[in-house]
Amino acid sequence: MRRTTAITIACMTATALTVTACGRDGENGGSGAAQTGAAVSSGKATGEITVWAMGAEGDNLPKLTKDFETANPGVKVKVTAIPWDAAHDKFTAAIAAGKTPDVAMVGTTWMGEFAASDALDPTPSQVDKSAFFEGAQKTTEVNGTSYGIPWYVETRVLFYRSDLAKKAGFDAAPTDWQGLKDMAKAMQTKAGAKWGIGLQAGGEGSWQTLMPFAWSDGADLTKDGGKAYNFDSPQILKAAKYYQSFFTDGISNKAAPATPTTEPDFAKGTVPMFISGPWMMSAVEKVGGPGFKDKYNVAPIPAGSAGSSSFVGGSNFVVFKNTKNRDTSWKFVSWLADPKVQAKWYTLSTDLPSVKSAWQDPTLAADKKLAVFGKQLETAKAPPSFPTWEQAVKGLDTELEKITKSGEDPATGLKSAQQQADSIGTGM
Amino acid sequence: MTAHTGTTGSPTGPVTPPPAAAPGRPDDRSPRGAGDGGSRTSRGRGTARAREGRAAWILAIPFCLLFLAFTAWPVVQSLFMSITDTRARDLRKPFSVNIIGFDNFTKALSDPIFRKAAANTAYFVLVGVPLTLVLALAAALALDKGITRFRAIFRLGFYMPVITSIVAVAVVWRFLLQDPGGLINTVLGWVGISGPNWLGDPDWSMPALIIMAAWRNFGTAMIIFLAGLQAVPAELHEAAAIDGANAWKRFRHVTLPLLRPTMLFVMVTTSIGYLQVFEEPFVMTKGGPLNSTMTVSYYTYQQFGFGNYGLASAMSYLIFVVIAIVTAIQFRLLRERT
Amino acid sequence: MSVDTAPRRVAKPRSGMVGSSQGGKWWLYVILTVALVAVVAPFVWMVLGSFKGEGELRQVPPTWLPESASLDNYTQLFDKLSFGQFFTNSIVVAVVVTIGNLVFCSMLGYALAMLDFKGKRFIFVAVMTTLMIPGVVTFVPLFVLVANAGLIDSLPGLFLPFLVSPFGVFLMRQFILGLPKDLLDAGRVDGAGELRIFWKIILPLCGPALATLGILTFLGSWNNFLWPLVVAQSEDRYTLPVALALYSTGQNSTNYGLLLAGATVVIVPILVVFLIFQKRFIEGIATTGLK
Repeated sequence: MRRTTAITIACMTATALTVTACGRDGENGGSGAAQTGAAVSSGKATGEITVWAMGAEGDNLPKLTKDFETANPGVKVKVTAIPWDAAHDKFTAAIAAGKTPDVAMVGTTWMGEFAASDALDPTPSQVDKSAFFEGAQKTTEVNGTSYGIPWYVETRVLFYRSDLAKKAGFDAAPTDWQGLKDMAKAMQTKAGAKWGIGLQAGGEGSWQTLMPFAWSDGADLTKDGGKAYNFDSPQILKAAKYYQSFFTDGISNKAAPATPTTEPDFAKGTVPMFISGPWMMSAVEKVGGPGFKDKYNVAPIPAGSAGSSSFVGGSNFVVFKNTKNRDTSWKFVSWLADPKVQAKWYTLSTDLPSVKSAWQDPTLAADKKLAVFGKQLETAKAPPSFPTWEQAVKGLDTELEKITKSGEDPATGLKSAQQQADSIGTGM
Repeated sequence: MTAHTGTTGSPTGPVTPPPAAAPGRPDDRSPRGAGDGGSRTSRGRGTARAREGRAAWILAIPFCLLFLAFTAWPVVQSLFMSITDTRARDLRKPFSVNIIGFDNFTKALSDPIFRKAAANTAYFVLVGVPLTLVLALAAALALDKGITRFRAIFRLGFYMPVITSIVAVAVVWRFLLQDPGGLINTVLGWVGISGPNWLGDPDWSMPALIIMAAWRNFGTAMIIFLAGLQAVPAELHEAAAIDGANAWKRFRHVTLPLLRPTMLFVMVTTSIGYLQVFEEPFVMTKGGPLNSTMTVSYYTYQQFGFGNYGLASAMSYLIFVVIAIVTAIQFRLLRERT
Repeated sequence: MSVDTAPRRVAKPRSGMVGSSQGGKWWLYVILTVALVAVVAPFVWMVLGSFKGEGELRQVPPTWLPESASLDNYTQLFDKLSFGQFFTNSIVVAVVVTIGNLVFCSMLGYALAMLDFKGKRFIFVAVMTTLMIPGVVTFVPLFVLVANAGLIDSLPGLFLPFLVSPFGVFLMRQFILGLPKDLLDAGRVDGAGELRIFWKIILPLCGPALATLGILTFLGSWNNFLWPLVVAQSEDRYTLPVALALYSTGQNSTNYGLLLAGATVVIVPILVVFLIFQKRFIEGIATTGLK
């Protein structure tokens, strides 16, 4: 059997080799100077477009697109909802086979990869890029070219139990790093908390909790004019040391499970502080039950030497290059960025608007907790849109796990993360 | 249901007298004997052989056509990918990439995380496969011959983990494995053992996943064993019992030899599944803590996610090579002596 | 009934182990029952959980019985889903795939196990090889192939690539290897053609193996998530697991109530199939005259 297997494989390989006339042809999408998409015709949108959108957004979107269809008689917007699980795989396969829709909602961290695959259409000049939060707009830009618009945003802030904070002797949220640490410690010593603050002990996505501190201290994740990763800067080192101290001082749990029990721990008061995004508000209120709304509050990330900053995420809307109806596609996407449409979308979905002026809408302006997110969004930053970002930051996550769990020297860890990132390259 | 054997089991039953055929059947039914028709050449009828060959091909053609259409080409293309620097962005033009020979393979083999994942996977397979097989065989034997009542309930019950959604399974197991307060550590506490922080401790995370995998997968192996045990005629057992063989001896000398093809099948497919273990770390630990549950398949999956198609394909074929070696060894070990 | 001191001529129920008395087996029931509880508990929790609210599901430690049972998750699910469409898609695909596997895999399995022909070894090695290749590596090439064949967003695109499986061929081959070859010779002596022997003699003996393959194939197809997600371009072509995943998993959070309700709904057809097929385990060889 062994021999036959060998022959089979040899045959297959030989076939593969002869079929090919390979070699890169040099030109690759996304290279060269910044581009702007060709102008979109004026007048009403026409024809039919297909739209992919994920999860609850895809489920709710038809309620919104009805308005677009009313405003542009004869237009048909066909929305296909896609589960978040494996949505990235679906896009990758669709791009490989050239079976993409006209328009789609995409995760902010996928932009670099899709743009590099030459799948996205550059944003035309009609779209006003200054209308969006700066950090959010940056997520659409790959190598200086903007592809699509930021649709909705989220950012990370500090959640804390205001009732327990009072017990611990704090009337207000901390505004600097030392204050945060003091308060977390006091939560343990005076308010009966098991852990002062829930910080992710490394592992997938933990950079999203570290970087708000580093950005608040002025960190930049790229160097050499945006041509390389920059994981071992003094600012990130300072943040990593600070982050590590929570674990060495026993304020944060280094052996927390991979799937944290953040909401129940918060509701019970065993872990009365954590850093996360807007979706956590409804989550903790569900677990906490009626009245829990008044027992907690949110606050901006404690400021470093460069003020308070955070991580901005969310989703963008893009037009694919092989669309058959480019004008209508872009008209639809620009329409989604209209402040009134953005505000309406918030009422349909509770997704936070990416357009700054939409926040003046009374439904948003009235909510005090939301205002904290709105304020944080003004300074929140996005990671670089390199196609290799997810892979490079995995190295940082792994090192961060060693730093928090096995007490690795932060400088060593960051240096190693930087080396890995350098060998991966930006992929541009 | 138990009455039927009283009639069909009469010694004058049709076709084959099983006891005579039992110990070491004189044929080439060894798994490895697939290709050698040598022992049957005595039949020596040319036209019959031609007819046999024609019939065989008629039976094989539907499979072959579908196989060529949907399996062969993707395999060839992925093999090609493994020797190129293909990244996600190249998928639209799969042939305008550079051939880099075995660079992906050497890169994978020199990657410390890949090596760690390989060691973890070996640990998982070496402990997990025997554990799963023993559980499955014990359950199958108990249900086939050990008990007479409520079999259907037990059979369905033991199969439940296979069909229960992995996500629900993950939620429950995280609760079971919690420290402190999880059910498992609570029970251990009753007998004075202070259980470990299963999922938080790099030394205990892999054992936890192995236990969970065995729990989740033994049902599949069990029903295949059950199907195989149907082929072991009860008369053989009775005859052996009359000859004074105890339960273990009957198992060893009657059941086991007849179960050999099934055994080989279950062993091979379980090993293949476990060598490609992915779901357990994916839902339980994301490969952590400190990469202690990172497996080769999970790591490969991540590389595909990062868009490194060339490298990830190479890793997949490294897994394939290991599987092929392990399978060949198993075929050899479980070959019937003829 | 297995208390049996009768002369040996009296055939025993094949289930009763010779020589074991009823008293000697009670412990086996105890062990099996304990094992059953351990094995079924998560399933029970899943079903109970589907009646709980989101807040209760996130409690630590989790509760067993719902504090206030409600059908909210189910009504929410059924309100959102055009259930009939997704269910039909799933059933059609799973049934076609299962039939395809039962028919084609047993055909080739028989040929590989019992017949002698040119190219047999090559086919078997090819089958085993593809069984060993991780599916993830051929995923994108297969998708591009299916896309180029114009099968995207069609039912055939959902089932054609899975009509045969190396697993099924291997399973049938191994099982048929375990059947006495005398059957074949007996059939030949009677002058039956090879295909007739397969159809009339071998296949009826394969009950347990076909039942096993049927269950495993149906389960695999029914639960398949990634392929239908990628092939379906419109929601009309979604299968049930794909549609269910739409509502349970968000970008940053999971709705456990909907997830458990969906997982419970999805399991029902599998249970039905298992119960249909499992009769075959019992009948097995008993009905075939091979005793």
